[in-house]
Amino acid sequence: MFVKKERNLTRWIFVLPALLVVGMLLIYPVFSSIYYSLTSKHLIKQSYSFIGFKNYIYVLQDSAFYVALLNSIKWTVLSLTGQILIGFSAALALHRVVKFKGIYRTLLIIPWAFPSIVIALSWKWILNGVYGYVPNLLFDLGLTTERLQFFSDANLVFMTLVFINVWFGAPMIMVNILSALQTIPKDQYEAAKIDGAKRWQSFVHITLPHIKIVVGLLVVLRTIWVFNNFDIIYLLTGGGPANLTTTLPIYAYNMGWGTKFLGRSSAVTILLLLFLLVVTGVYFTVIRKWEKEES
Amino acid sequence: MKKFLSSVLIVVMMGITLMGCSLNEEPETQSQDSSENTETAQTENTGSEEIQELEGEITFWHSFTQGQRLDVIQKAADEFMQQNPKVNIIIETYSWGDFYTKWTTGLASGNIPDISTALPGHVVEMIDAEALMPLNDVVDAIGRNKFAEATLGEGTLDGNNYSVPLYSHAQVMWYRKDLLDEAGIEVPTTWDEFYEAAVKLTTDDVYGISVPTGSGDLMGTRFLNFYVRSGGGSLLTEDLKANLTSDLAIDGIKYWAKLYNETSPKDSVNYKVLDQANLFYQGKMAFDFNSGFHVGGIANNSPDLLDDISCAPIPKINANDPEYGIETSNIPIVLWKNTEYPEIAKAFIEYIYNEDIYIEFLESVPVGMLPAIAGIKDSEKYMENETIQQFADEVDVISEAVGKGTAIGFEHGPSVEAGLLASQSIIENMFQSILVGGVDVETAAQKAEDELNESFEMMQ
Repeated sequence: MFVKKERNLTRWIFVLPALLVVGMLLIYPVFSSIYYSLTSKHLIKQSYSFIGFKNYIYVLQDSAFYVALLNSIKWTVLSLTGQILIGFSAALALHRVVKFKGIYRTLLIIPWAFPSIVIALSWKWILNGVYGYVPNLLFDLGLTTERLQFFSDANLVFMTLVFINVWFGAPMIMVNILSALQTIPKDQYEAAKIDGAKRWQSFVHITLPHIKIVVGLLVVLRTIWVFNNFDIIYLLTGGGPANLTTTLPIYAYNMGWGTKFLGRSSAVTILLLLFLLVVTGVYFTVIRKWEKEES
Repeated sequence: MKKFLSSVLIVVMMGITLMGCSLNEEPETQSQDSSENTETAQTENTGSEEIQELEGEITFWHSFTQGQRLDVIQKAADEFMQQNPKVNIIIETYSWGDFYTKWTTGLASGNIPDISTALPGHVVEMIDAEALMPLNDVVDAIGRNKFAEATLGEGTLDGNNYSVPLYSHAQVMWYRKDLLDEAGIEVPTTWDEFYEAAVKLTTDDVYGISVPTGSGDLMGTRFLNFYVRSGGGSLLTEDLKANLTSDLAIDGIKYWAKLYNETSPKDSVNYKVLDQANLFYQGKMAFDFNSGFHVGGIANNSPDLLDDISCAPIPKINANDPEYGIETSNIPIVLWKNTEYPEIAKAFIEYIYNEDIYIEFLESVPVGMLPAIAGIKDSEKYMENETIQQFADEVDVISEAVGKGTAIGFEHGPSVEAGLLASQSIIENMFQSILVGGVDVETAAQKAEDELNESFEMMQ
């Protein structure tokens, strides 16, 4: 009895620092956001009061919220699709490479290693409508009749950001999938080859089942990260022009730090949290189903 | 048993760590006490000859990102610390855009400095948030009669001076003399002339004018204010409501939209102040609107263009319109209410105004920063500066504009509404919705006006 209690105490002592960190970094902000979302909290006004669900009603009646929500969904789906496709393809290609694999892997991971600020400012410079290397090159080569305005053309700006995000995120997907690919026993492929399986059949019946859980978890994690992505969009366009690249995190930021309505901003973040909980809930249901099938 | 002992050991270690933390807090508490004692002693000694030795640490946030100002202020702080060995001054630099975010969020979290620079629009918001301490005694020590009443008035409420003007500048129209001469164009004096000149000077390599409307900055508001103020109007009504749907404001919005479409790089829809300035520094723009800071910018980036730039008053709607005054910025220093060492902060502010230091500070961005106190402009030392001599005519143009203008929205006196007008990017977003989103001017202006009024009401 005493030994059991002692073990429990030891466990708790070891877990306590992590619990404190989680409490400070996660639980407190979430509950304070819930609290502020029910008040008239303003960034520079000292006093505020409880106003119930007025902030939620305001946000849900604001057409800009739905524009931001749609942009967030588009941003996540397009970025994630691009990252998975390119990351997956690069991993498959790299898996087959024998010589200089380490060098290729290092080179391909470079975009992921850069801080967002460096990436944003570099791309901002490369694609600048006046001095930018790319618009000027395309124009000088006669491929465009005028210098493309990647960050101000309504038809280009969103996809430009998606492209940058794909370029940034694909290496991370690649490395993870490559690790999963390397765990697949080679003899399974050899047995399939002996049985007369074609390459695509090996891919569908051996490769995919082995890596789908890893890919699934990557999709869950990347969905949360990409959906909540703030820095790249903020640094490149600030959500503009004309809200064309305003996603929910940018919308929440502009509401809290632009127009200073912290209560409304908190309401947006809580709605964002609920939305992501639903999405990840669906994801995990699917992954659990896969795990059951596997076991 | 081993596990039990290790558990006990961990608990003991954690206890020691926590004790360490509390021990580390003690000196801070002591220093707080000593500061209170110093303050008390100071209060008791008011009027006596005895000088208390200053002791403590203050933080100074400033926005001197351009020119050599940072070095001059650091040098002043080092000298002040040498003279007061028990004083430590920590200097942190933020761009204006970052500074606004920094102090507004800092108010909520308690992470604010002892002293800082501010924009006039910030000051009224800071006063409204009860974040500042009056500086009447500092103004008196420097010499109240040295400050222009209007300048001092920008940070004054109920007889309390919450800010001390440090330097002044005004927005004027900068132009490339060489380009105008080549095209045989006179310096424009009306907006129609300006439009014609800008269109005429737009080529594959040079833009007539860039129309900047990036969010997170006040450039769109500034440009609209140029037009509206030049016609004697204001972006605020007399009862401090947003005024974006007046005929004058609608004309102004349409005017800049037209110039954006015909003479501006399309990326300028995202431009902030430095993007805009850089375009002029790179020789890519025939006209620009800015203060005397452009001289330093050109000198650092394209010194070969230095002889080709000049400035003139901002155009009017009609040539015979009266001079209404456009935009003047008197950049002040403020003292934050939370400071533990107001006596150090005040002493350091006064120290910056010592003539030698003050002139050296102004000369770190010659022409860009004009003196906010009397008696400097005509001093021999100040006039010795080569750049000031070279741009004497431009200094006169800017000085005249300084005397006539106000901060954006201050036409009806300092107000929180004026601060909010320029700090929320609502007007910039309005421009973007028109220029890129295709929303019609009247609808966009009405929406922006409603948004501004809602934010004004929040502050009541």
